[in-house]
Amino acid sequence: MPEAPALIAEAIRFDAVGKTFPTRPVPLRAVESVSFAVRRGEFVAILGPSGCGKSTLLMMAAGLETPTEGRLERGGVKLHGPHRQTGVMFQDATLLPWLSVLDNVLFPATIRRIPRAQVLEAAMRLIETVGLKGFEGARPHELSGGMRQRAAICRALVLDPDLILMDEPFSALDAITRDEMGDVLLDLWQHTQKSAIFVTHSIREAVLLADRVLVMSRRPATVAEELVVPFPRPRTPALADSAEFGAVVAHLRGVIAGNMA
Amino acid sequence: MKAALTSTLAVLAMLLGWEALVRGRAVSADLLAPPSAVLEALLRHPEILLDQGISTARETALGFLLACLIGAAMGAALSSAALLRRVAMPWVLALQIVPKMALAPLFVVWLGVGAPCRLAFAVFIAFFPVLIGTTAGLAGTDHGALRLCRVLGAGWWQTVLRVRLPYAVPHLLAGMKTAATMALLGVVIGEFVTAQQGLGYVVMFAASLGETALVLAAITLLCGIGVALYGVVLLAEWAFARWYGAPMPAGEFG
Repeated sequence: MPEAPALIAEAIRFDAVGKTFPTRPVPLRAVESVSFAVRRGEFVAILGPSGCGKSTLLMMAAGLETPTEGRLERGGVKLHGPHRQTGVMFQDATLLPWLSVLDNVLFPATIRRIPRAQVLEAAMRLIETVGLKGFEGARPHELSGGMRQRAAICRALVLDPDLILMDEPFSALDAITRDEMGDVLLDLWQHTQKSAIFVTHSIREAVLLADRVLVMSRRPATVAEELVVPFPRPRTPALADSAEFGAVVAHLRGVIAGNMA
Repeated sequence: MKAALTSTLAVLAMLLGWEALVRGRAVSADLLAPPSAVLEALLRHPEILLDQGISTARETALGFLLACLIGAAMGAALSSAALLRRVAMPWVLALQIVPKMALAPLFVVWLGVGAPCRLAFAVFIAFFPVLIGTTAGLAGTDHGALRLCRVLGAGWWQTVLRVRLPYAVPHLLAGMKTAATMALLGVVIGEFVTAQQGLGYVVMFAASLGETALVLAAITLLCGIGVALYGVVLLAEWAFARWYGAPMPAGEFG
């Protein structure tokens, strides 16, 4: 695959992308004519109810599903399958139970046949940043759900991708751990210039983390509303307690309610 | 440790009780030889029992290995090709419903009364658990892990070696444990119907002469072979569990 020219300011672009699954008896229309782009370094949250097709959108961005209509560009080039510079996080941590935390974090390097020594330092730094220092040698079953998801964040970032896709990465966690993970991610993000698409059904997460929020309609998913989050960076978790934050959350809740009615 | 001691004492007490029953003429020694007579029979014909024992052990080990290879290969093939699965699975399952012992005489007709017949029969009844273990193991791979492989652009071989195999091995080992006992059973039935050599033949022959002590001596040795083979699989499982270092999905250790 040819490398993307550096001039391209967009990490990924959806151009009237649609997706229909050939189910029987009625084909399932999951995504309807979605158009948006994520600029380099921009954090975009996709907010929508469960089962609205937003995960399908992300699977297409990851190259695991092919759009049935429209065009999907990654760094100015049509996307064919998984891209080497994309990191992906799923709802479950999906750590391999027989590997230590460190080996799980280094798994992408193992698969890409990148020498361990070359990424070890980056891996250790990430592990420290997410607060897993001292647990490098632990097996996943010895960790809590939140700690496993922290390891999964490290794994998604270890090869230094320029785009990271997250599919409701914290939805399997309890509410307190979930907020904690949002804070970890926020902290991690202040120091990177990565682009991100973050699929969630938590309004708080979306507003706290994202530069821009896309509200999806019910299935078939399409962009119902776009909102630029008016808070400057760096942000702190305390932002979520402010009145302005509450106003934005209330506005989005209204938009979603209006959409669903 | 205490549990092991209790178990050992219970076995010893049972053997002593058995000995006492026979000595006290509650049970005739002709029908059920006492443990002392079994021990004496073991010591009286060591070379015959050893020769026949080695024959049985060799055929069991070879049958077990072949059953594992064939079972794993067939399991892998069935897992990888849906068409093959649709064509072959009904036949494989039908074969499981047939009481396989009843087919033993047919193996004599096909393969004669030599080692090939006993081996083939042992493989025939032992391969199935390995096949099931392999297919269950390969199907049991975590879907998320496979998706991760796709995202990372892992090749087919990488996916098999780094993800599918580690997920499959616990199931495979569970199948192999069953196969170990089945292989011995198959060889003994083979020895019954071919009536040429092996501990199974000794059992038949001695029983026809009413030598219950020799029958039980041969059975004792058969137990030893079974335990040894099962132990080898347990050892392999223990080694794998150490490497795995996490609770395994199937085939509990022990």
